[in-house]
Amino acid sequence: MSKSTNGEEKSSVFRNISSAIGGEKLVLIAAIIVVFILFSCLNRNFFSWGNIINLMVAASLVGLVAIGHTYLIIAAQNDLSPGSLVAFTGTLCALLVSLNIPLVISIIITLAVSAIVGVCNALMVNKIKLDPFIATLVSQAILRGFAYIICNGKPVAISDQAYLNIGTAAFIGIPLSVWITIICIIIFGFILAKTKFGRSIYAIGGNKEAARLAGLNPQKIITISFIIMGVLCGIGGIVFTARMNCGQPAANVNLEFDAITAVILGGVSFTGGVGNMGGTVLGIILIQAFNTGLIMVNVPSFWQYVARGVLLLLALTSDYLRKEKRKKVLLAASMKNA
Amino acid sequence: MPEISKREEKQLESILEFKNISKYFPGVIALDDISFKAYGGEVLAFVGENGAGKSTLLKILNGDYQPNKGDYLIDGVSKHFRSPHEAIEEGISVIYQERQILLELSVAENIYLGRMPTNKIGVIDIGQANKMAQKIIDDFGLPIKPQTKVKDLSIAYQQMVEIMKAYSRENLKVICFDEPTASLSDSEIECLFEIIRKLKREGKIVIYVSHRMDELQQIADKIAIFKDGRYIRTVANGEITQQELIKLMVGRDLGDIYKNLDRNKEIGDVLLDVRNVSSDYVKANSFQLRKGEVLGFSGLVGAGRTELMRAIIGADRMRTGEVYLEGKKIVNRSPKEAMKNDIVLVPEDRKMQGILANLSVQGNINISMLDKNSNKFGVMDRKKEQAVAAQGIQEFQIKTPSPDKKILELSGGNQQKCIVARWIATKPKVLILDEPTKGIDVGAKSEFYQMICSFAKQGLGIILISSEMPEIMGLCDRIIAMRSLKIVGEISHDEATEDKLLSMEMIGVDAQ
Repeated sequence: MSKSTNGEEKSSVFRNISSAIGGEKLVLIAAIIVVFILFSCLNRNFFSWGNIINLMVAASLVGLVAIGHTYLIIAAQNDLSPGSLVAFTGTLCALLVSLNIPLVISIIITLAVSAIVGVCNALMVNKIKLDPFIATLVSQAILRGFAYIICNGKPVAISDQAYLNIGTAAFIGIPLSVWITIICIIIFGFILAKTKFGRSIYAIGGNKEAARLAGLNPQKIITISFIIMGVLCGIGGIVFTARMNCGQPAANVNLEFDAITAVILGGVSFTGGVGNMGGTVLGIILIQAFNTGLIMVNVPSFWQYVARGVLLLLALTSDYLRKEKRKKVLLAASMKNA
Repeated sequence: MPEISKREEKQLESILEFKNISKYFPGVIALDDISFKAYGGEVLAFVGENGAGKSTLLKILNGDYQPNKGDYLIDGVSKHFRSPHEAIEEGISVIYQERQILLELSVAENIYLGRMPTNKIGVIDIGQANKMAQKIIDDFGLPIKPQTKVKDLSIAYQQMVEIMKAYSRENLKVICFDEPTASLSDSEIECLFEIIRKLKREGKIVIYVSHRMDELQQIADKIAIFKDGRYIRTVANGEITQQELIKLMVGRDLGDIYKNLDRNKEIGDVLLDVRNVSSDYVKANSFQLRKGEVLGFSGLVGAGRTELMRAIIGADRMRTGEVYLEGKKIVNRSPKEAMKNDIVLVPEDRKMQGILANLSVQGNINISMLDKNSNKFGVMDRKKEQAVAAQGIQEFQIKTPSPDKKILELSGGNQQKCIVARWIATKPKVLILDEPTKGIDVGAKSEFYQMICSFAKQGLGIILISSEMPEIMGLCDRIIAMRSLKIVGEISHDEATEDKLLSMEMIGVDAQ
């Protein structure tokens, strides 16, 4: 008797945890644990402090972009330009500093340019009514071009010590770049979950026309979301170049690929309106552990591309399955309430 | 030639028979035990109010819907089409108001879409297709070329291409036209009628759905009358007058439900003054709405009622005109501005324009209250949101297990209540309801009617667009009729009869 009550209690505790975190997130956490155990078995160094730090540093850039994608994809938008934009802004900032413009001013200019790129992306979507995929494919090409043009195709070396410090500074053993991403996740996570702007993003992602008729301004919300993505990429570009000691116009190809995969893995629905920042964090950890692990167990780089594609396919499939499940639950519930 | 006459002879025998057809949708009986026959070589018109079941019957005939009960027979053979494709294969074609052709393809390619003639090795023989198409075009006596891209043709000729596409099938037996003249000019209509007469001569069964009485007189041989999902009877053209026809289409008593309503008696000053408002989708119209008044907008689908309201709230851009609220000029460039000016709209299409399917009941009720529910930094106050949702749920008796349930889990009527609660929370002065009771059950409807009356008592100005005659006559203090994007007349609650309203909507004049 007492045994069975005990068992029930346990299962209800488990149910409470699972409903608090969300069943889908538990699956994700399990997947992360599996990936860590798997790669640790294949390479003992995988679960070392040094590697964890490396993993976090690598994840910090994808993380910044994934924050932007979380906003955009929940708003039923998307962005394919971050890889090019990060390369462009990084090169731009390095160039400005090399022209003896003070670091702070260089950073401000770079971030302003990033914001303008966001505005341009939004204009294409709002005013020419382009599909965000296509609109940002345009800016992907143009920005990559400008990244090469402004530096004549040659990497721009950084000699400014303050700039380099951004790449090397650390606080309680964790590099500054990681802290920046963590702070951004907290700030933008809060905005998404708790503010008027956050609510508006969910509303327009769910049904743009209904949201407009309900008194929201979808074009404004989409524009701000693209600006946020632009500025995050600007920050990413500055920090990345500082870490690399130079601005590289050819860097960060396919950055958006990993970010989008992370966001979808984290439970943001590709059709918009659903998801949250907590899921994205787990998605970032999973994809970075996966990518780093592949390198560490010496999977040939060509196969890494294949693996990433398969991972994205898995993410999209799970998104589809989640939607089907929601549909079934809704149908059952509405039949009950009808 | 003798071959063709043989074909004609065979066609003349065509009979289409509906036997006890019933079709149910959740909470609605769309078609109730429909039985009648249509004969080859005749134009049979379907008439009835919006929602009488004409379109539903066409959709059953062309395989779009499956009947819940009953049967239909062609030449005595029971048929059961599972898709429009099957129906077309069997010689049943429906020409809809919206074009179903591919604009980027040529006339010939559209006519023979999916069955282009090919040569021996399976390559499409475009020359042969053009030749065959030219024959049909000549047959129809049209001045177009088979090679022309359809997008370069006028709307009328695009429609002709659709008809030719149906005609090109050897086995064409039944051809249905659903409001075919909606976007045609008078001369184009005459051209269409010529072709319909040709089809008739060749023994096809022609079914013609239209709201325009004058047209029916010209083209129909017989007229089948529908009302509330039921088939009333078929009359020969000219057998009865237009007015008698309209009486057969309506003619029913207002239920007790309307008589027992506690309607607002004290109507105040002019609240909303709309002067010459037009948009890309509606002509210039003027009207006034008073405080505490329920103003009905009656009209057939496509009369421009929704479009006029969308122009007023800035959902579509206003081209001309001015809007005054309590004597003060206001400008609504977006629904957001209209909301700030205290004019709100509950849209017609609940699913596409009303609910936010991804959000909870609470989220849906609060979405227009983001400003009022947040502090100056834009951070939401959860307590305020809960309070607004709780009040809405209580006031409108929204049946939901909890405010956190997804709105899609609720029944249609309760979803609609959430949308109304959303707007009432913003404390508007003018509430526009566009077909608020569409697709909701009778119980919920009567709750809505009480709600509308109590809003009027609170001094709101209510605009009610509805295609349900009893509803609009039972609820409204005054009814405005629209036809072809224009206001054509106005009638008070006490004078309103269904005949008068329908006459205004269909013929444009008040029948006395």
